[in-house]
Amino acid sequence: MFLGTIIYGLLNSAVLAVMAIGFNLTFGISGVANFAYGAMYIFSAYLSWTLFNLLELPYWLAVCASIPTTMALGALMYRFVLLRVRGQALSEVIATFGIGLAILELFNYLGFVGFEYTLPVLIDDSIMIGDTMVDWQRILVTGVAGLLVAGLWAFTHYTRMGLAFRGIAQDERTALTLGIESDRIAMLSVSLGCGLAALAATVIIPLGSISPSEGYEVLIKALAVCIIGGLGSTGGVIVASFLIGFAERFTDTYISSHWTMIVSLAAILLVLGFKPSGLFGRQKELEERI
Amino acid sequence: MKSRSIWCCLMIIAALASLMVVGPAGAAEPIVIGVPTSLGFLEGKESHKVVQMAVSEINAKGGVTVGGQKRLLEVSSMDIRDAAPGVPVPEALLGIEKNILEKKPVGIVVGPFRSEALVAGMDLISKYKTPMIGTIAMTPASEAKVKEDPEKYKYVFRNCLNAVYLVKYLAGTMEAINKEFGFTKVYIMHQDVAWARATADGVKKSYFEKAGWEVLEQEAYPTGTSDFSSALMKARSKGAQVIMPIFDMPQSGILVKQWKSMGVPALMAGFISPLAGTDAWKSFDAKIGGAVNCVFEMGSAIASDKLPKSVEFYNKYKKIYGKELQAGHGPAPAYESVYILAEAIERAGSLDPDAVVAQIKKTDRTGIMGRIRFDEGNQVIYGFDPKETAVAAVFQWTDDGKRRIVFPESLADSKIQLPKGLKSAK
Amino acid sequence: MERRKERIDRGIKVRAGDVFALCSWREMLYLLAPRLIPVLGFLLLPLILDNYWQKVLLSVAAFALLAISWDILAQSGMISLGQALFFGLGAYCSGVLTHVFGWPPLLALPVAALLGGLLSTLCLLPVLRLRGVYFSMVTLIIPLMLVRVVEATKIFGGTEGLSGIAPLPSKWIELYLIVGALLAALFGFRRMLDSDYGLVLKAIKDNDRSVINAGINIYWFKAQALFIASSLAALTGAFMTHVYMFVGMPVFALDYSILPIAAAVVGGPGTLAGATVGAVILVPLSEVLRGIGGLRIVFYGLFLVVFIVALPEGIFHYIQRKYHQFERWVEVQ
Repeated sequence: MFLGTIIYGLLNSAVLAVMAIGFNLTFGISGVANFAYGAMYIFSAYLSWTLFNLLELPYWLAVCASIPTTMALGALMYRFVLLRVRGQALSEVIATFGIGLAILELFNYLGFVGFEYTLPVLIDDSIMIGDTMVDWQRILVTGVAGLLVAGLWAFTHYTRMGLAFRGIAQDERTALTLGIESDRIAMLSVSLGCGLAALAATVIIPLGSISPSEGYEVLIKALAVCIIGGLGSTGGVIVASFLIGFAERFTDTYISSHWTMIVSLAAILLVLGFKPSGLFGRQKELEERI
Repeated sequence: MKSRSIWCCLMIIAALASLMVVGPAGAAEPIVIGVPTSLGFLEGKESHKVVQMAVSEINAKGGVTVGGQKRLLEVSSMDIRDAAPGVPVPEALLGIEKNILEKKPVGIVVGPFRSEALVAGMDLISKYKTPMIGTIAMTPASEAKVKEDPEKYKYVFRNCLNAVYLVKYLAGTMEAINKEFGFTKVYIMHQDVAWARATADGVKKSYFEKAGWEVLEQEAYPTGTSDFSSALMKARSKGAQVIMPIFDMPQSGILVKQWKSMGVPALMAGFISPLAGTDAWKSFDAKIGGAVNCVFEMGSAIASDKLPKSVEFYNKYKKIYGKELQAGHGPAPAYESVYILAEAIERAGSLDPDAVVAQIKKTDRTGIMGRIRFDEGNQVIYGFDPKETAVAAVFQWTDDGKRRIVFPESLADSKIQLPKGLKSAK
Repeated sequence: MERRKERIDRGIKVRAGDVFALCSWREMLYLLAPRLIPVLGFLLLPLILDNYWQKVLLSVAAFALLAISWDILAQSGMISLGQALFFGLGAYCSGVLTHVFGWPPLLALPVAALLGGLLSTLCLLPVLRLRGVYFSMVTLIIPLMLVRVVEATKIFGGTEGLSGIAPLPSKWIELYLIVGALLAALFGFRRMLDSDYGLVLKAIKDNDRSVINAGINIYWFKAQALFIASSLAALTGAFMTHVYMFVGMPVFALDYSILPIAAAVVGGPGTLAGATVGAVILVPLSEVLRGIGGLRIVFYGLFLVVFIVALPEGIFHYIQRKYHQFERWVEVQ
């Protein structure tokens, strides 16, 4: 059982990392805290579901359509709402929160609640590791998590656009003088963050089901991971995911499933008490701390 | 400029005023039946639909006779959202209050979802003297309250299964499993809400402890939990033979999915709300064969040939709405409660709440769930024989996607089958 | 030919700004009306309304208090997404004091307000050292997690909560207590924010570093503002506990966080009066629209977005401007 808990802790960490990475990316680059993140996650899941079940498109096509649509929605949200309140943290928070709320509650109102709302698993099988049965979908999530981290690292270090992203993140004004258009990059970062949320939904939802309350849950988990890891730090996200992921599984197995959520709360309060910018929030520590 | 803005204000006020003044007024006023419940949830949605179905049936026959005059029925629904997480109970109660004050219903059917809302709402119901026949919230606490102060709470009835009778059904099922296969190790998983906790504790006390079962673990899950892998791992390593889940949240379907994908060699027998209807076969990719599930009232999502009325009801719903019933809790008693109310009004010959309540209490009617009578706690009596009492049903999903009733014996189509890979302990 | 819009103070405003205002009824009325209307309105309405709308008035006042509390925080540069945290802590404090220790409600109310405020402040103290969205993120998370804590530890009634809590002595005390609290908070805190103390708070929001430069300990000021605001919200929570005679996990519900923000944003942040106006508009509106159920929350969300983008000043500032100034089109030379 100990080995099983470790395996599931690892898989759980991967799930958390995939959930949080998009939120973290957007914040790290443009400084926009996208509180509509959970709503985007759920939106893309419902979109895939509708395309797949009602229009009866093939699954891969449904996913291929819903991820770009979510990205477009994110871009639109930036262009028509966030752009006008850019730089005012207060208004950005309220506006994204309002959008997220409206989307999630609309689904709630339309009655998109129930177990029939779920996406199919990609590989419908499971394998034995030791004496623990693990389904392939979870292993897939772990793979996606690894690929995402590696891909993002390569993207931000070796491509022109990725370098522009980092430029804006480091110093917006200097980047502007070098001809990097900050609004365009910020729009791309919000859109990319939403796309990552959609990707996360595609791989994680088959493990469970789609429901609006899941949207809040994802937002909270992403926030918890980012606060502990330090906002805007990819390394922090990974470490924090492992921290929370393992802590959750171990409390689940050895104490009680009730305490899983409390463990992350305690972790947040502890980290904030000792290191307010999070474990790895070094890059912008000076600006965030006062 | 100025006059235009005043004009605008007037328009808005007028629009608001017209919104507030709703409800037709006239001579042959219809009798209003209130349906305040969580309409966004499956059980509430389908219960509301069958109430409309029952009302249109009665109206097609000319309505209800009150004092020599035929009057039509009218449904007034209100989404009180009490089942949604994060909605405060008082907020839900305000919805019921509004429904009562504005539409002045003669009676309320279906009623609150969450037991917490029902118990808190009883004072409201007795304050406004509106008879209510609840069909979703299941806590026995409401009956205790009725028994404590019968005069005050005489307006609150319930004709769905309550947690006490659910315990009897689950215990009966477990007994049958024990007799058939000799299983004695159970792993209990339940949602952390009043009725589920009461049910789990009840089965444990009234059956498992007495019959010498070993309860490996009893674990409560917060509403909204969507990962059960740790518990299933534990169940597997501790050698559970039976897993008894008690859940009414949509996410609980994940438990079944994970149970299959993790290959836990134990019989799943209990109550998981998404497993009740025929749609489950498709939603779960045909991977629920072998699961044993309880349907709270005969007629809700399942029908038995041995009770022709239930088949008639089931098919009628399918014909009208083009879809089979999916909620294993709510629709059948909701349908019945409209008839109970209508008959009570006719017998009382007036709309006076006290007279109607006295007549509801005297109900003795044979309908889709069997024979309906209220006990002193204003709860319909459930048992195992449809000729004597109302009945629920426990069924098993077969490997080819059919549902077979396995309990109670008076209605059973077949015996419980073990899923592949699980061996009898006998 | 190009035109531009010109805004000019009304004559009466100019005249009323002077000491001679006291010579004319018209000008005195002009000065008093904006203050008298809410006072008289809130004091007289309970006498006119029927039972149901009295309840609505009660929630108007409660949500207005929550919105005022949100606005005080916002003016000190802290955007709270979790008014439910303060509300819930106050509610539980009062519930436990009356239910477990048997205190009378009128004594438990103020104590619960202070205790709830203190607990909330302690909870959020670490975050005060960070600027930006951290405060919002943490306030959003904590109430949702506290629900789990109550659920897991089964303290204070667990999932069922505590019911049968002693109510306030009478319906009228209930109504006038909350209305009185609202008026006191509205005018009292408006005055406080206009004083030097309030200026420091506003300065922290505008430029915290220059406030540090002035030799002022901003954490201390932020903690004070947080304590004041959370005590106010805790008082509301404690009050509602006695109205509903129930306290349980739903007191941490998202509704209590969303509606105050919506009220403050729609009414206009930064004046407290705006928050009140917002609550006076939104709460009855949501009662009227109760029939549409969950769709109301969708509207709140959209209100937030529309007002933040299109009318960030809010309704109150708009009305205020119309009251004091007139507009006309003039030709540009």
